[in-house]
Amino acid sequence: MQIFEYNGSALVAMVGKNCFAIASDRRLGVQLQTIATDFQRISKIHDRLFLGLSGLATDAQTLYQRLVFRHKLYQLREERDMKPETFANLVSAILYEKRFGPYFCQPVIAGLGDEDKPFICTMDSIGAKELAKDFVVAGTASESLYGACESMFKDDMEPEELFETISQALLSSVDRDCLSGWGGHVYLVTPTEVKERILKGRMD
Amino acid sequence: MKLDTTGLESSAPVWGSPSELVDGFSAAPFFELPVTTDFDGFQKEAIQMVKPAKGTTTLAFIFKEGVMVAADSRASMGGYISSQSVKKIIEINPYMLGTMAGGAADCQFWHRNLGIKCRLHELANKRRISVTGASKLLANILYSYRGMGLSVGTMIAGWDETGPGLYYVDSEGGRLKGMRFSVGSGSPYAYGVLDNGYRYDMSVEEAAELARRAIYHATFRDGASGGVASVYYVGPNGWKKLSGDDVGELHYKYYPVMLSTVEQEMVEVAGA
Repeated sequence: MQIFEYNGSALVAMVGKNCFAIASDRRLGVQLQTIATDFQRISKIHDRLFLGLSGLATDAQTLYQRLVFRHKLYQLREERDMKPETFANLVSAILYEKRFGPYFCQPVIAGLGDEDKPFICTMDSIGAKELAKDFVVAGTASESLYGACESMFKDDMEPEELFETISQALLSSVDRDCLSGWGGHVYLVTPTEVKERILKGRMD
Repeated sequence: MKLDTTGLESSAPVWGSPSELVDGFSAAPFFELPVTTDFDGFQKEAIQMVKPAKGTTTLAFIFKEGVMVAADSRASMGGYISSQSVKKIIEINPYMLGTMAGGAADCQFWHRNLGIKCRLHELANKRRISVTGASKLLANILYSYRGMGLSVGTMIAGWDETGPGLYYVDSEGGRLKGMRFSVGSGSPYAYGVLDNGYRYDMSVEEAAELARRAIYHATFRDGASGGVASVYYVGPNGWKKLSGDDVGELHYKYYPVMLSTVEQEMVEVAGA
């Protein structure tokens, strides 16, 4: 099997009205065997910036640790949090450093920038940024996710409606993928609060 | 180049002049082979193309009251789920079932072919074919196609004069008689549950629940199994479908969600 499909993953981020949502599945597998059903794929960098990493789980964990280290250094030097756009540049640079021996991950970055404007982007495994205004997807279920998001997405959704949309898109897409699923994890971020919810999904 | 079809010749006696009724069926199906320079290489490629990892879970076991047969219903193409509603338990005739694992087309075709041969046997011998005989017919057919890339991992379960019968037959030409079998990528997980909970003297309900649970656990752990867990029972009066439960719902039935009190954190929100 391909290296990107070794562990299996599904990630999606969507933009709403002054808010964003980022969601992932919860499965960690070794090819077809499911090892864990509570794997954390999305991590908080700071209160208004979240990073999701799909692909090979070991590379995702290592890359995450490196990025947290770099962000903490930035916080010490600049005495403030990184803007999402800056963070995306940082991730892109770190991935390209390993151009000829890459991390087998596809990151999804979602954050609230200046004036609470939501920012989402994804990258391939060597750092090519893809900025989007509506949604970004990554993982083994990405093709299904593209289809689901394309049909379900609407502009300027309120937080509750955005949560419903991203949840339905995630669950229906992972139900067509053998390697991802077993529940869902959604973070809904507005300027004032972060809501974390676990989704009940098909466990097969 | 014509394939050697002597293995396919029907055992039905050829008394009397051949009639139209029997002719179409007793003539063994033959498949034209391609004209290539490198037939071995072609065979290898054909096998690789058709060889999915038998992504499925099927199981069958004999107990005091008869035979219990169960399977999932997912069809996968690599990582993509192509269907969640495939019938993997094939009804050969009213008292015999076959399970499907491996190539769907192969299993469906050869099971139907087996059903035809069984019916011909009944008409020719005025009595039903035994499970032993039916499984041997299928095994011989599959053996003659050994190496050609067929992918079949099936169990023939039925009730005949000697009581319940269960055989495992595969496309490598193997044929095994046994009391408990599970076939497919999810079989290790199903065996774990099945072997642990099995007793010869179970009631039909207990055996059905064991089969259902074993399939459920396999769908939970194996990525290539899922969908609906179907359970069939084969008794002295033939087979009967007992249940077809969606495993997504079975999970929450066996492990209901416990709402736990969550420790809410009050965190300072920066720049609110």
